[in-house]
Amino acid sequence: MQTDASTESDDTLYIDAISSALADEMRADPTVVLMGQDIAGHGGAFKITRGFLEEFGDQRVRNTPIAESGTIGIAIGSSMLGIKPVIEMQFADFISCGFNQVVNVAAKMYWRTKQSVPLVIRLPAGGGMGAGTFHSQNIENWFLHTPGLKVVSPAYSNDAYRLLRAAIRDPNPVLYFEHKFLYRRERSPIQKQPVRDRILGESTILRSGTDITTVSWGWMTHRTLEAAEVLAQEGIEVEVIDLPVLSPLDHRGIIASVEKTQRAAIIHEATCTGGFGAEIAARICDEAIWSLDAPVRRIAYPDSPPPFHKGLEASRIPSPERICSELRQLLDA
Amino acid sequence: MDQLKSLREMHAYMRLAREWDLRFEKMFRTGALSKWYSSVGNEATTVASASAIEAGDSLLTLHRDSGAILRHYLDINELLPGILPQDPVIREPMGGDSQQRFLRLACQMLGRENGFSSGHERSYHYNLFEEQWGLFHIGMISHLGSMIPVAAGTAFAFQQQGGDRVAINFIGEGATSTGDFHEALNIAAVWKLPFILVIENNRWAFSTPTSQQYACDHLSDRALGYGIPGVQVDGNDAEAVLAVMQTAVARARSGAGPTLVEAMLGRHRGHSEGDDSLQQVPEADLIQYGEEDPLDLAEKRLIDSGVFSRAWIDEVKERCASLMIKTVDQAASMPEPDVHQARSLYAD
Repeated sequence: MQTDASTESDDTLYIDAISSALADEMRADPTVVLMGQDIAGHGGAFKITRGFLEEFGDQRVRNTPIAESGTIGIAIGSSMLGIKPVIEMQFADFISCGFNQVVNVAAKMYWRTKQSVPLVIRLPAGGGMGAGTFHSQNIENWFLHTPGLKVVSPAYSNDAYRLLRAAIRDPNPVLYFEHKFLYRRERSPIQKQPVRDRILGESTILRSGTDITTVSWGWMTHRTLEAAEVLAQEGIEVEVIDLPVLSPLDHRGIIASVEKTQRAAIIHEATCTGGFGAEIAARICDEAIWSLDAPVRRIAYPDSPPPFHKGLEASRIPSPERICSELRQLLDA
Repeated sequence: MDQLKSLREMHAYMRLAREWDLRFEKMFRTGALSKWYSSVGNEATTVASASAIEAGDSLLTLHRDSGAILRHYLDINELLPGILPQDPVIREPMGGDSQQRFLRLACQMLGRENGFSSGHERSYHYNLFEEQWGLFHIGMISHLGSMIPVAAGTAFAFQQQGGDRVAINFIGEGATSTGDFHEALNIAAVWKLPFILVIENNRWAFSTPTSQQYACDHLSDRALGYGIPGVQVDGNDAEAVLAVMQTAVARARSGAGPTLVEAMLGRHRGHSEGDDSLQQVPEADLIQYGEEDPLDLAEKRLIDSGVFSRAWIDEVKERCASLMIKTVDQAASMPEPDVHQARSLYAD
C-alpha cells in the first residue's frame, strides 16, 4: 500500500494509484467503507485492496456475498445515513446484476427526493487480455444514458488517483471505470494534492494539432497518442483530447478544437451502435457543423460481444494502425 | 388495562389512517386525483409496526402503509387535541411540527408545490428526512422489492455508527419473489443487521393469488433458510402485530440481527383504485376479508372491554373524518408546482 507521506510521487502504476487513493481517502474519512466480493482477506481479484483488512479492519472492509443488487442497494441505503460506501465490482460486467439499483434507485434519488447518494462503484473494465466475453466489456454507455449518475474513465495514474478521491467526496453516485489493461502497464507520476471534492466535466488536450481532433478515454487514449506519433512523422498533426470524465460531459473543449481542426474522430473501445461516440458526434454536429470539412468519424469496437481468442479480440479493438488508417481517410475525405 | 390503553392509542392512529384513505379514494372517484393506491385493510399491521419503533429509526414504506407514516410522523394530539391522554402508552410521538408535516403530506399526495417532492413524484414515492427530530423515512420506487436492500443499508449505517437504531421495511407478498428479497435478507442475516422486514401478505399481488406466487406454506418459513427468526402473525390484530414487532425490534437493537415478519391480511381494494383486479378475488374471500377488517376488530375489543363506548368510537371517527376534509381541502387550495422550474440532477 502507498503511504500519504509525500504529495508528489515517482512513477506510479495505475493500479497502485487506485489503491493509494482508496487508502488515503479511508485514512482521511472514517465513514468510508469498502464492500465487494473477495476484497477483504484476499485483497480483491486484482489485489487492489491487499493489506486493507489489516489496516482498516473488517468493519470497514466488507466481503459481500455474491449479490450485486443487494450490495449496491445496501450501499445506497447506508450512504443516505452518513456512510460513504465504495463498492468494488469484481468485473465491470457484473454490474448488470445490480442494474436496477444503479439506474432507478441511486441515479434518480436526488432528483426525486433531494437526498444525496454519495456512492462510488469501481468497475474494472475493458479487454485486451483474452479474458472472454464476460470479463472484457466496456459498458460505460449503459450508464451515460441515465441522468443522475457521474461517470469517470481515467487513462493515467494521476487521473486515477485524483478522480477516485474526488469521486468518494462527491455527494452523488459515481461510476468509476478503471481499465484492466492499464493496471500494470500505465505508469506515470501522481500528484496527491490538492484533493478536489467534486467530479466536474473536464477534457484534456494531450497533444496539440491542427489537422484532426480526436476524442477518446481510458486505454484508447494511449492508442490514439501512439497513432498521433506515427501520423506526425507523415506531417499530419492530430489534436488528441482525453475525457477523464464522461458524465457530466464538458464538450466545450471538443467544440473549440474542432472549430480549429475542422475534422473530428471519436475513438472508443465500447461497441459502436448507440455508443458515446454517437453522442459526441451529435454535439459536434449541433454546435460546429459549419466548421467541418469531413464527416465526423467513429472508430469503435464492432457490434459484437468480446471474443475469447486473443487474435479475435485484437482484431476488434481499435489498434494504433487502424486509428492511423481511419484518420488518414478522414483527411482525404 | 394497560393493554387496553395500548389498543386505544393504536386505534386512534388506525382510524386516522382509514379516514385518510377514504378521503383520497373519494377524491380519486371525483377525478380530483389521477391515481390512488389504498391502504384500507393494512392499518393494524402498519400502525402497530410503526408503534414498535421510535425517533432515530428508519422507516421504508410501500403504497399501502399510510398507517405507518401517520403513526411515525405525527402526534395525533397535536392534530386532534385531547383525542388521547397526554402520556403515550406505547411510544413517544415524533417531535417537531405535526400540523405542518400533515399538511405537506396531503400536498405530496395532491402533487402540490408544498409536497415533499414539489409535484415531481407520486404519492408515497418521496423521502422525508428531518434529522433534528430523528425522522428518516424513505419511500418506494415502483419496482417492488427494490427497497429491501436499501432498507437493510440504512440498518448497515446504524450498525457502523454504533448505538441501537433499527430499520423497518414493508413489502407485499409479491415482492418476496424478487431477487432483491433474497439478496438483502441474506446479507442482512450474514452481517446481523438491525433490520425487520414486514411482509404484508394480502394474498393478491395485483391480480395474482399466492398459489401462483409461491409454493411454500408460509413465507415466514423462508427465514429458516437465512438463519434468522421468521414469524407469521394475524395482520388484522394490532395487538398481536405489536407484540411480534416489539420482540423483533428488541432483537435488532440487541445486535442479534434481522427478523422476517409475515402479517396475514386481506385484500380490500384494487391494486390501484379504479382498476378491476378485485374481479379475480372470489366473492367469498372478499366477504371474509371484510369481516376481518382490522378497524372493526380493534373497535369491538375496545367496546367489549366495557371501558369504551360506541359513542366514543364514533366521536374519534367523526373527528378524524372532519380533519381529513379540512386538511385535504386546504392542501388542494395550495399552489401547484411551476411547470417551468428546473430541478437539479446532482447534489451540490
